[in-house]
Amino acid sequence: MFTNTLFLLSAAITLGGAFAVVYTQNLMHACIFLLASLFGVAGLYACIGADFLAAAQLVVYAGGVIILMLFAIMLTGGASNSINRYGLVKIAAMGNTKTFFAAGFTAIVTSLVLLKIIANVLKNQPNKVLAANEATVEKLGTLLATDHILAFEISSVLLLGALIGAAVISRPRKEKHD
Amino acid sequence: MINLGTYLGISFALFICGIFVMIARKNIIAILLGIELILNAAALNFAAYSKFVNGNLDGHIMSLFIIVIAAAEAAVGLGIVIRFFQLRESIHIDDAASLQN
Repeated sequence: MFTNTLFLLSAAITLGGAFAVVYTQNLMHACIFLLASLFGVAGLYACIGADFLAAAQLVVYAGGVIILMLFAIMLTGGASNSINRYGLVKIAAMGNTKTFFAAGFTAIVTSLVLLKIIANVLKNQPNKVLAANEATVEKLGTLLATDHILAFEISSVLLLGALIGAAVISRPRKEKHD
Repeated sequence: MINLGTYLGISFALFICGIFVMIARKNIIAILLGIELILNAAALNFAAYSKFVNGNLDGHIMSLFIIVIAAAEAAVGLGIVIRFFQLRESIHIDDAASLQN
């Protein structure tokens, strides 16, 4: 009963947030709606017993990625005059009618392809008995330290590279690059 | 109600929303928001298959790596966006066309 309620609530938040990201014309609002959608995805993880994934989703996305995006929006949007010295509009548009038609066409084609695939998957859906949800943290730690140790180390190197790369890219330079 | 079909449906809707946002928007940060939606759809699929089909925890490991890669991608992408704004004072995607002419 509780799990069903949580599932319905999480699904509603996820889908509503995603549709609001599509619908809204304000970049800051879109970021907040994306945060709501990611919260919903964490709830969906919790419904299928992925407790560590739900916690990681909350910590990494809500605490890291969305805050980073909000900072980037605030650093690149707010200025008194909206035209810069090249004559370009500073606060970028959220799309026009032409791009919305192109996106709608692409979405329809992609959804047809995906529905074709999903229909096959659902037709021979397995009828196995589901195990009860149990804590996954200890097993995940063992798996990460034994079977998937190489991928774990590679991802640590990737994070280090991303950290250094982001610092180097966004550092202000002395010379002009125009 | 909680079965593979509903999870695939939710993931499908998230993916389509991500594709739509990625193509319709002209703002670089909004495009990054769409990419986050798409990565979440993929991670949700991995977790759902791990629960309903596979029975072991390998899908959870893949979802964890997707979260790690999304964090790294957001950091580097936003660094590039801020650098581009310092150079051009704009985050319109059409202004990033120096290689076209």
